[in-house]
Amino acid sequence: MRKIFTILLGILYSFNALAVARFPKPDFTSGYQYPDIVHGAPNELFWNILDVVLLIGMMGLVVWAAYKKRGRAIILSMSLVSVLYFGFFRSGCVCSVGSIQNVVTAAVDPNYHLPWYVLLVFLLPIVFALLFGRVFCSGVCPLGALQELINVRNFRLSRAVSATLSMIPWIYLAFTILYAATRSQFLICRLDPFIGIFRLGGDLGVMSFGIMLLVMSIFIGRPFCQFLCPYGALLSVFSALSWKKLEITDKGCINCALCGVSCPVDAIRAPQNSRTKEERWRGVKRIILFAILLPILTVAGSVLVGTQSDALSLAHKDVYLYELLQRQEANPELDEPLEVETFHALGGDIEELKAKVDDIRGDYQFYAYLIGALIGFVIGFKLLKLSLKRGRKTYEIDMARCTMCGKCFNYCPQNQPTRRAISSRTSITSKNNIPDK
Amino acid sequence: MRKLYRNIAIVTTIFLLALSVMLGVSYYQMQQVSPLETGVMETLKELNDTNSDNEALQQQIRELDLLSRKAYFVKEGQLKMGFYLLLGMALVLVVCLNLYYRETKNLPEKDFDPIDDWMTKSRARKYLGWAAAVVALIGVGFVVVQQIDWSNMFNKEILAEVQDEGESLEVNNESSEGSGEKVDTLATDSVKGEEVDSAEVDDMPELKIASRAFRGNNSGATSAARGIATSWNLSGKKNILWQSSIPKHGYNSPVITGRNVFITGADAKARELYCYDVWTGELKWTVKADGIAGSPSSMPKVNADTGLAASTVATNGEEVCAIFATGDVICADMEGKRLWAKNIGVPDNHYGYASSLLMYGNTLIIQYQNNSNAQILALNTKNGNTAWSKKSNDKIAWSSPIIATLGGKSALVVMGNPAITAYNLGNGSELWRVECMSGEVGSSPASAGGVVFGASEYAKCVAIDGATGETLWEASDYLPECSSLAATKDLVFCATSYGMVCAYDAKTGEVKKEHDLTTPFYSSPVVVDGKVYLFSNSGKVYIFSASTFDLITSFETGEKTFATPAFTDGMMIVRTDKSLYCVKK
Repeated sequence: MRKIFTILLGILYSFNALAVARFPKPDFTSGYQYPDIVHGAPNELFWNILDVVLLIGMMGLVVWAAYKKRGRAIILSMSLVSVLYFGFFRSGCVCSVGSIQNVVTAAVDPNYHLPWYVLLVFLLPIVFALLFGRVFCSGVCPLGALQELINVRNFRLSRAVSATLSMIPWIYLAFTILYAATRSQFLICRLDPFIGIFRLGGDLGVMSFGIMLLVMSIFIGRPFCQFLCPYGALLSVFSALSWKKLEITDKGCINCALCGVSCPVDAIRAPQNSRTKEERWRGVKRIILFAILLPILTVAGSVLVGTQSDALSLAHKDVYLYELLQRQEANPELDEPLEVETFHALGGDIEELKAKVDDIRGDYQFYAYLIGALIGFVIGFKLLKLSLKRGRKTYEIDMARCTMCGKCFNYCPQNQPTRRAISSRTSITSKNNIPDK
Repeated sequence: MRKLYRNIAIVTTIFLLALSVMLGVSYYQMQQVSPLETGVMETLKELNDTNSDNEALQQQIRELDLLSRKAYFVKEGQLKMGFYLLLGMALVLVVCLNLYYRETKNLPEKDFDPIDDWMTKSRARKYLGWAAAVVALIGVGFVVVQQIDWSNMFNKEILAEVQDEGESLEVNNESSEGSGEKVDTLATDSVKGEEVDSAEVDDMPELKIASRAFRGNNSGATSAARGIATSWNLSGKKNILWQSSIPKHGYNSPVITGRNVFITGADAKARELYCYDVWTGELKWTVKADGIAGSPSSMPKVNADTGLAASTVATNGEEVCAIFATGDVICADMEGKRLWAKNIGVPDNHYGYASSLLMYGNTLIIQYQNNSNAQILALNTKNGNTAWSKKSNDKIAWSSPIIATLGGKSALVVMGNPAITAYNLGNGSELWRVECMSGEVGSSPASAGGVVFGASEYAKCVAIDGATGETLWEASDYLPECSSLAATKDLVFCATSYGMVCAYDAKTGEVKKEHDLTTPFYSSPVVVDGKVYLFSNSGKVYIFSASTFDLITSFETGEKTFATPAFTDGMMIVRTDKSLYCVKK
């Protein structure tokens, strides 16, 4: 098992081979003086303030465009600005998605300094989500905006498949928390698929993944936001509880179904009668079953992930080094890996390292149980949620899923009563069994 | 125009796919290439190792080095350029697709999900349930896989095959190389500390932590073993897994690899290599050192304190080699088949040959420093051929070599009279030499944090920078006679033959702590799991803290002990003058 994780980690680390080309220095002196290592100056205050001001300003504009204007043009403009400024100009850092890691690290490590602007970049989208929904995802997040801008067609996945895949961001979030809390690595930064594109260079493996996602974005709405983004998963909780609920039109839904089929992220719920063919008692039994399953799944997830904590801890560089040293100790005839050589050359103390590794493994055990419980709970809760019925008379926005791209506004005939396209579009909807008004 | 956009999109897509494949292949090739480790470069570097004053050669290496680096980065630049081209073409594709779908892209797609939201939910529940079950099964599978020791299962399969071959193997042993012989288990005298089920014993795994030479791997006097007992009782069998008798006498120490424990024994009639099972103490096989060309017909005269089998064996996990006071070297595989044997010359040694063996990969290192023909020998463990040898003008010594990490590289360190010398393991070239020893050097060096420590009675204790050969400090407070040093980054442990033990500060040479234990020590200290284990000649065990050298505990075992114990996962194998026993909690 450890070997499997070691191999997986090896593959993961090998992604960096091109990003940081490491060569040994020449073996003997040539008279060349190596220059002192110069570290880049940290971001200036001005740019940090501008980041926060722009973040607030753009989210405010999106709220205005979505709630007052019900138009997509402003949201698309924000997307363009976001890609250019937060993406290419600011090189995609610091971003709200990655700030989860800084906040988690600061929460568990009192010595870790969390800059004020990173905290704001993390909190502001959550505050906006609590008030108005996922405003940040709309046109302010450069990752979502990039996918939105290149989307051409919207071939949709089955809603049942989408619902299943929507668990992935939670698992990603869970492991992000684990690795940040144990100070192992910032997983989101390492695997950000678009950062290499914004920086016009970087790890080719991750960039290839980013390109694959972009190609998918041409035909599927926001695949990263729907099926990967851990921050999106977090925002969906706050958005579901938002103070204001977004409405497609303020002129009354005519149940034409155009908004439903236009949504790229399957966030519009069709009207439905609360009566179903299923017996009521059967539905109740299912809800009771899933309610009982919820704590069981939570505990099962906790135990399942918790038992893997030792293998997971190999992601920490000190644990990895310790394992290498152990392997070398057991097989001294093998060639010494560079890490082991360096450890010895620097006069490393194996006992000190072991004490450190024991502490790290202790942390891993705790957090692995914790995130296992989180994953189990999320799956159980989703199953429970999928067992609930709620009648609806008109098309409604699911605030947890809606990324406020504004497409549905343009499709709604109530928002554009003069458009000639209405008549042709309504003919398509006649195929669907829309309940009588 | 629509058709034009479509055609451009198709061409661009084909171009994108082709470029992606090319970039993928190129990326893979770059991953495989290690530009500075080419055959030519390695050869030139080896030449430079043997002739470090050749400026022209060094210049050639520099130029080749620069060329390799340039080539690598040029290729990387090309790869990046290709990537930007890919991005540009992707942009063209997006624009063309947008233009192509301009008229129709806002038409809603037909929804293939049933309009009945409840049905969709039911389906989603099913999918999610299955997905969670599959993930959980995979997780449980991982947990189960983790519990199975695959390597042991694999080895059992091999063992089964070997057993199938059974007698033919034995016949081969006897007829070809001669004296490898299976031992009748009833003939061995093994006493179990606790009743252990035989099936259970068969399932016991091979041990991960090896101890492949005198004082552990690389003869380093440290072990990665954990969970070693700190108290045991031979008579009451407390924490004693087994205790076995040894057919012939010897002062050499046990060595462990896999499930095997190796020691040797000798008398005037025979010289033998023994293999015991680490879990049961059963004597698995014996290989005799007989029928060797050049071997003396009568045994050389040796001191009773040295004997004919003072040298500890060495193994690399595939072969095990032993040397005796006659100069006979034998090498066997893990099944007890003698692979080769040779006599390297009868040592002219007034006490008896005592230097232990050491292995580095397939190279067997022999510190052959006697009154005549002193040399360091490196033999191929597969066939006994000489890989390299280094003649020495050093005087006779009984010390054993170690492998140390010096300046980031593994090197051979040999302590003799009058010098401590570091050699290149690959070709035996001398790295540095510090003349600091005198008298009869029987102790062996130690190394920690890139520093080599050596000490011998009637000489001094020295610390040498392993990278440069510069002497860092010297001390002469307490010096060992037969016992060897052990070291951590902070302390150097020394046990004397007059009962004093001490810890020197590894940085300054100052005595940090000393204990007057009033009992002689021939056995060497070993650092294990934050503790220092040390046996007195009388068999009293002393366990100290490795960080403070405070005495944690001490107790009598009741059997004289001159050998140094070997450590593995939760176990310690001790050789006394009468028996071999295993300590396990």
